Order: sequence, then C-alpha cells, then structure tokens
Amino acid sequence: MDQQVTRNREANQVWQQQIVCYACEHCAYAAADLAGTLRMQYPPSIKIVQLPCSGKLDVLMVLHAFEQGADGVMVAG
Amino acid sequence: MIVAEQKPLQEIKALISNAQNVLVVGCGTCVTVCFAGGEREAAILAASLRMSTRLDGKPQEIRHETVQRQCEWEYLDQIAELVQQADIVLSLGCGIGVQAIAEHFPQKWVVPGLNTTFLGLPSEQGVWVERCAACGDCILGLTGGICPIARCSKSLLNGPCGGSEDGHCEISPDTPCAWQLIYDRLLSMDKLHLLMEIQPPKNWRTSRDGGPRKIVREDLRLPTKEE
Repeated sequence: MDQQVTRNREANQVWQQQIVCYACEHCAYAAADLAGTLRMQYPPSIKIVQLPCSGKLDVLMVLHAFEQGADGVMVAG
Repeated sequence: MIVAEQKPLQEIKALISNAQNVLVVGCGTCVTVCFAGGEREAAILAASLRMSTRLDGKPQEIRHETVQRQCEWEYLDQIAELVQQADIVLSLGCGIGVQAIAEHFPQKWVVPGLNTTFLGLPSEQGVWVERCAACGDCILGLTGGICPIARCSKSLLNGPCGGSEDGHCEISPDTPCAWQLIYDRLLSMDKLHLLMEIQPPKNWRTSRDGGPRKIVREDLRLPTKEE
C-alpha cells in the first residue's frame, strides 16, 4: 500500500486525492467485492485495506496512512 | 503506579527542535498502564512528530523504542546502540526514567515527553486519582487505609477542617473530604476509637523535608572487591 500511494502521487499529472479505506472483511469489504462483481467503478486512488473487523483499527494505522502520503482515511464497517 | 500525562506536542517539538535524529523511548511499566508513555504512545508520538516536523518544512529523523523499565540500568543497556545513534533522547518515562537515561548515558541530551503527576490508581477507566504522597512514615494503619497526607488538601492529621462540607473538600465539589472518608470507614468498621488518639505533629524529615532520600539494604548489596 505504501509504495502504491507514493507511486500514484508521483505519476498523476492531475492531483487526485489518495484515500486509504480500512474495510471490515465481513461487511464493507464484501460490499466492495460485490461492487466489483457488478462492474461498478471507483477511482484507482482509493486503496482498500482489509481488516478482520473495523474494531481492529488503531490510531497508529491511520497515522501510518497519512505518513505514507494519504490525503484521507476512510473506515468502513 | 506512577501516573503521568503527555506534554503538549508543541512543547515536545520545542524541546527537540535542535536535533536531527531523535529517539523516542517508551517505558513498559507505570506509564504504559496509565496510557501516557508505553510502546503504543511512543509509536503514536513518533509518527505525529515525523508528520508535524515535515509539515513545518524541517523534517526530523524520529525513531522509537520501548524498554521494560527505564529506571533500571539493565534495561537501558538494551537501547545503548540506538541512544548512541541519536542526537537527543525524548523519554516517555516518568521523571525517574528521564534521569536514569541521563545518568546512564552521560554524553547524551535527554528531554522529558511527560509530566510526572502523582502516585495513584485508576478509579475508573480513564480516570486516575492520587493515593500516596510517599511521605516515608505510613499512617494508614490509624486511618482505615485512607491517606490524609495524600488525599486531604491540607494533609491534616487530626480530623477535618472547617472546609469540609457534605463530605466534600472546599477546594472542589469533585474532591471528597479525606477525613469524612476516614470517619465513615472507621464507623463502619467499629473503630472510631482510633480517632481519639491525637496525632502529634508529623515528622516530615522522612518526606521531602529531609532532602533527597535513599534506602540502603546491606543484605541485598553485592560484596565489593575488598570484601
């Protein structure tokens, strides 16, 4: 994820917000899977990180995303 | 436990502003369980400082490490190499930890990231209260296990003052009157007669009034070379 965020930031001519999404594997991640199955589109600047539960999220993970260049962090669960 | 709280980020940044390589050292004992300076807090503070200094246009190299106890030489030996590589050590230990690092690594500049506040316990989740003043002459046996030195605002030894109102101290309605607590407890234990004994003025030489304190246990000391 770290390298991906950095690479996209450098490659993009037009600035696009880099969003890291921490998603619970039981609901939000499954929903993202379903969206893919349905061929629904979302910007490639959104990176989804699967968590066993959104309750697993720690402030350190959020800080880590920002440190690596994310513009926003989304928690879905 | 020793209870402490983290200094404001701006104050910490000012303390480390002249250093390029900073080592944040957490402590795995008291300040871990009061969520002020443990492994997690050290990692969060290091990340916050990295981001903050980068945003300021003066990025600093900030690493973090946590030892089991900052107040014992053996544990500090484990971070000797990291300390040598750093320009400055930001200790997230209590005041004892900061001084132990400074004493163990005399060539290294050490600054505190916490304000060491008191000796106490968590009365409920997220709330810590003072319980001991380390006066060096414990009288809890006379007061039903409630310390009037630490918990009475005036450290009175013989009953409440006139500021005790409805069980609360005059300094704040949130502060229970220690002597009311003592009276209630002795009453419930049928030991009110203990209050009839007038306590003479306390000898404060065992406390801070006697200067820095020291305990020597000859039975525990290692023999010197001459012995």
